[in-house]
Amino acid sequence: MIVFDKVTKKFPLGNFALNEVSFEIDDNEFIFLVGPSGAGKTSIIKLIMKELSPTSGSIVIDDEDISSSSFKKISRLRRKIGAVFQDFKILTDKSIFENVAVTCQIQNLDKGETKKRVRETLSLVGLEKKEKVFPVQLSAGELQRVAIARAIVGEKKFLVADEPTGNLDPKTSWEIMKIFKKLEGTKTIIIATHNSDIVNSFQKRVLVLKEGKLVKDKRSGGYDL
Amino acid sequence: MKEVFTSLRRTPYQSMAGFFVLFFTLFLSLVLFISLSFVNGFLSYIETRPQVTVYFQPKTPENNIFKVRDELSNSGKILSIKYINQKQAFEIYKSLNKDNPLLLEMVSADILPPSLEIYALKPVYLPEIAEYLKKQGNVDEVQYQKDIVDRLLSLTNVLRKGSLIFFSYLILMSIIVLTTTTSFKIALKKDEIELLRLLGASNSFIRKPFLNESLFMGISASVLSFLILITFFLYFNPFLKGYLVGVPSLSLDLYMTKLNIWPLNIVFFAIMFSLSLLFGCIIAVVSSFLATRKYLKV
Repeated sequence: MIVFDKVTKKFPLGNFALNEVSFEIDDNEFIFLVGPSGAGKTSIIKLIMKELSPTSGSIVIDDEDISSSSFKKISRLRRKIGAVFQDFKILTDKSIFENVAVTCQIQNLDKGETKKRVRETLSLVGLEKKEKVFPVQLSAGELQRVAIARAIVGEKKFLVADEPTGNLDPKTSWEIMKIFKKLEGTKTIIIATHNSDIVNSFQKRVLVLKEGKLVKDKRSGGYDL
Repeated sequence: MKEVFTSLRRTPYQSMAGFFVLFFTLFLSLVLFISLSFVNGFLSYIETRPQVTVYFQPKTPENNIFKVRDELSNSGKILSIKYINQKQAFEIYKSLNKDNPLLLEMVSADILPPSLEIYALKPVYLPEIAEYLKKQGNVDEVQYQKDIVDRLLSLTNVLRKGSLIFFSYLILMSIIVLTTTTSFKIALKKDEIELLRLLGASNSFIRKPFLNESLFMGISASVLSFLILITFFLYFNPFLKGYLVGVPSLSLDLYMTKLNIWPLNIVFFAIMFSLSLLFGCIIAVVSSFLATRKYLKV
């Protein structure tokens, strides 16, 4: 479960990224975070990942208040969260297999288990034949599939994605969203996007943000720009 | 190992700079260590020789010699005195020249001088004892080794202090150069480190590849410096043997034990190698720790 309780994030120059935002996300729920650029979607993702700390309020993830956690706790928390980024963040000097395996290595899985899990995950995202290939040989859509594979391999309880289709054409975007659809119910999935077509077609819970405030929480709805 | 070689291949010049600095540090440190060991060993050897040896004329009556011996013994300045008569002197001569029959044929016990080998309680008594002996009748020669001991002592002190300063300088330089080259490599991998942190990697996980690479350099630099040194030693062994002729063995006092350094032996080499390996690893660990420290803050 993820609980945001009156979370405010204020930057040093005085502008608010988030202003007293509160919500709860149940286990295995599928959520869209929507809103125009600068609404605070990425800030919520970064607060969940503990890349940012809240100025006030509390954030509880998996029954643990992460508002003022130590580095050890943060590392442990991050091992439970798979993250997908708009710019993929793929390591260009490692093969596709190695890029995905890094998550298993961080989780201290042995070589045999790592091999098994990476192959299963690559198969899930449709890249089973490209494990030895290097990132430079892949398209943007394939790179995002690698990023998703890296985010879901291993024991992940949460999956957060910040504009996962932001750099992709519409056809590839749909293919990527189909992978998220396959994962529904296996983990808590939070996707930040401003693609209304995707949000409307999924008919899932939508948190609408505007200028750092949560303006709507639709349990099963769409999104209008 | 694969990661280490990949990283070395990708940053060859930084790796070479780090490796050569480490190699020269360890090589020069080993040379210093060996020089100090030999000087100290030689000093110990000299100190085990009689500090004053007085040779009497060959036909000096034994009673006269015993009188000198007893007077010295009663002075309270003597640790021990050993009398060597002509027969014993001849035995010593024979054992020293056993490989040269011509020399043995030419000498008999009659022409060798009887002598006293005197060890003083303190080195400060040596001039006094030597002066006393020179005034005695029938004395042929007084050999007095204080100068050699003093010179070796001061040389050892200078070498020890100089080596310590030079050694500290070398270690510091190695750590700085290795930290700088590792920092450069880390800067190239900044994005990767950032990603690893987001994936939940622990500090030790992020540090491991850099530590492995530094350790690899430290170990290979110490192995290479040791191999070069041992080759040097084996090549110059005949020369050393010629130079140290008459010196049966040199040893170093290490707390409760004695370490034999001459003739060259495997224990001495093993200690040299262990020291070189230890310092190589310490430099590697410290420098990679310093280099990664600033990138591992959340």
